[in-house]
Amino acid sequence: MASESARRSRLRSWWQRLWDEERELLTIYAILGALFLIGMIFLPTFRSPRNLFNVLRQAVALGLVSVGQTLAVLVGGIDLSVGSTISLVGVYTTGLMAQYSGLGAVSLIVLGMIAIALIIGLVNSFVITRLRVAPFIATMGVGAIIQGFVLLYAKRPGGAIAPGWDYFAEGMIGPVPFPVIFLLLLVALAYLFLRKTAAGRHVAATGGSEIIARLSGIQTGRVTAYAFMISAFTAALTGLYLTSRMGAGDPLMGGLNYERYDLDSVTAVLLGGTRLGGGKGGVVGTLAGVLLVSVLNNLFNLAGINPYIQWIVKGVIVVSAVAIYASRRSGETK
Amino acid sequence: MTESLVEMRNITMTFPGVVALDDVTLESRAGEVHAVVGENGAGKSTLMKILAGVYQPDRGEILLRGQPVRISSPHEAQRLGISIIYQELNLLPDLTVAENVFLGREPRGAFGLIDASTLEDEARQVLRRLGVEIDPRARLGRLSVAQQQMVEIAKALSLNAQIVIMDEPSAALGGKDLDRLFEVIAALKKNNVAVIYISHRLAEVFQIADRVTVFKDGQVVGTFKVSEIDRPSLVRMMIGRTLSETFPPRGKGYGEEVLRVEGLCCGERLKDVSLRVHRGEIVGLAGLVGAGRTELAEAIFGARSIAGGSVWIMGEEVRVGSPRLARRHKLAFLTEDRNKGGLVLGLSVRENAALPSLDRRERWGFVDRKAEDGAVGAIVRELRIRTPSLAQEVEYLSGGTRQKVVLAKWLISLPELLIFDEPTRGIDVGAKAEIWQLMRQLAEAGKGILMISSELPEIVGMSDRILVMHRGCIVGELPGETATEEKVMMLATYGETHGE
Repeated sequence: MASESARRSRLRSWWQRLWDEERELLTIYAILGALFLIGMIFLPTFRSPRNLFNVLRQAVALGLVSVGQTLAVLVGGIDLSVGSTISLVGVYTTGLMAQYSGLGAVSLIVLGMIAIALIIGLVNSFVITRLRVAPFIATMGVGAIIQGFVLLYAKRPGGAIAPGWDYFAEGMIGPVPFPVIFLLLLVALAYLFLRKTAAGRHVAATGGSEIIARLSGIQTGRVTAYAFMISAFTAALTGLYLTSRMGAGDPLMGGLNYERYDLDSVTAVLLGGTRLGGGKGGVVGTLAGVLLVSVLNNLFNLAGINPYIQWIVKGVIVVSAVAIYASRRSGETK
Repeated sequence: MTESLVEMRNITMTFPGVVALDDVTLESRAGEVHAVVGENGAGKSTLMKILAGVYQPDRGEILLRGQPVRISSPHEAQRLGISIIYQELNLLPDLTVAENVFLGREPRGAFGLIDASTLEDEARQVLRRLGVEIDPRARLGRLSVAQQQMVEIAKALSLNAQIVIMDEPSAALGGKDLDRLFEVIAALKKNNVAVIYISHRLAEVFQIADRVTVFKDGQVVGTFKVSEIDRPSLVRMMIGRTLSETFPPRGKGYGEEVLRVEGLCCGERLKDVSLRVHRGEIVGLAGLVGAGRTELAEAIFGARSIAGGSVWIMGEEVRVGSPRLARRHKLAFLTEDRNKGGLVLGLSVRENAALPSLDRRERWGFVDRKAEDGAVGAIVRELRIRTPSLAQEVEYLSGGTRQKVVLAKWLISLPELLIFDEPTRGIDVGAKAEIWQLMRQLAEAGKGILMISSELPEIVGMSDRILVMHRGCIVGELPGETATEEKVMMLATYGETHGE
């Protein structure tokens, strides 16, 4: 009996510790789980494997870019240029693939797009750390410049994709869609980076306090550059993924027209418990934030709810989630 | 004679409007504890930040083992084997103790990944060297201030640096922790490390240091062997200066009580503090940085929650829970940092001065601009604030004029008690005299004034009565007429031995 109660108290203290450390994660996953259960019980169309995979495929587009956005927010910034980067990659990829569709050419195109994205990330961090422009404005400006170039190149949807390129979005590995595995791999990599590498730790440290990080010998300018380059890199992945899914490019595919990936990715990151202003958070929470947004969209559509009401509900959810996280934080410091 | 490990030669450093260091030379030897003492703002911390790569000096050179080096960043300083414990804690509350200790220098294992178990083990070892029981896996934010200070020390030790700088590491420590720190310093010495130890507490200097350098007003007064000097002469050198400033004549007597504080407590920061301020009286609050003076002012003003004690204003016990309530009780608090806590830099003189009393000039929910111009205009003339117009943004005004705008802002709401925190810091001499004049006029008009100052001439020259604080306690009271800088400094540094 005594050992039983000891075990129970140990379990309780373990739970207490987990709750103290990972409140945001537990909260968001609980909400996600509840939403999922509601769908499974009340909406037969929701629980069909076809629909579930469809939800996941939608989640991938937002998920890829949100992984990078997590780093941009974690380092103390925000990346509002991802929408334009997605459009840029989408338009140029399909434009080039319409003419060159060999395997070598496709590889070169993909590598080229990633290189362009890394340069965009570098430019963002240069404007932020060297020119000392606030990240919000810096990335908004860079995003506007990119969007301008995109629209100079293509005014309307067009282009084509190479044969076989649709595998990225439509392929299956066994019973699981390839893009889902791709996203999970990316999340796992980002998780490892943030938790297990020095550079990753320094991202959160820089976001926590730039001065303290610098005084600790961390080269914060370099760390900020990493974060924004990764952010642009995953935006490029979303751009590539969308071309595969739509079979064409669109100068407005990253924003303005369909979903606004810049704002939606920030939403997913914040829902996932990453602190706006940096220092705390991670990609596991972001994954939940992405899934929450996707499941919610799907449920609303299946239930035939007016899209404007969807807007209202989503707005309420974002504001309340961030408010809940914030109130807990100030409670801790007291 | 051991040779010097590091030498800082002819260092000069200026900040806008202030010469922080003027042709300073300091050398430190392996296996030696070199204490650096001086008043607040004498330039000690600035010099150390230069050695740690935080600031770049305007002139001068640094020699490491006889070779000139350029320490361009904290990163570079670490690489050269220099580690520093800063005066303020530099730790991240969201990270664990171990992560904080090795921040920026995480041990890497396979594939360049952080080796978490080595990280913990090494952190545990460093903490053991310090003899403290702190779980390396604990979140830093959950530790007490004293524990965090020990983590900060562990962080500096974990570098295994050849030169260890400690900028007031003992400020948050007491008792056993302090003994352990001294043991660690002794061990560092044995390992041929050069230790530079900054402290206000002269007792510590005599306990652990081999040599001591005295700073005054950004210059070095001299370097001495500790065995060849005594405390009173150190104190004299720290403060000895000519009284060039001109203070208005003292008040003639005082009236009824305006403020009474009894048994005020606030954790480690304030311990059973009691004081009184009367109408027509300027009470100076002296003490070293960290003695609890600002905390006391904040507690009285309701900006800091208190654990016990009572505050009486004009004979009535009040609960001042917030600055808003304090204002209603006719208190005014002119904060130390005018630019952060006192003024909105981008706004005009009018808008700044009118800000706290806006609600009294509202009509139909709109601010009555005419009444505002009248009120602000009158006070601007009264205080002789030199501004081209009321619409002038305050960011373009000088430090002295800004301080007057802060004063104007508070005077409009007709306070009975004014608390000044470092009223003339960073202000040129002429403007200082004007501020002092205004403070005396206010006292003569029947206001009570509590003045916090780290500048001893100001404390001695302005106060009718001087209270000296040391580590959260008021350790002595001196009448302004007969007080000297030496007496104040003795109380502020000796604290325990003379005050209690």
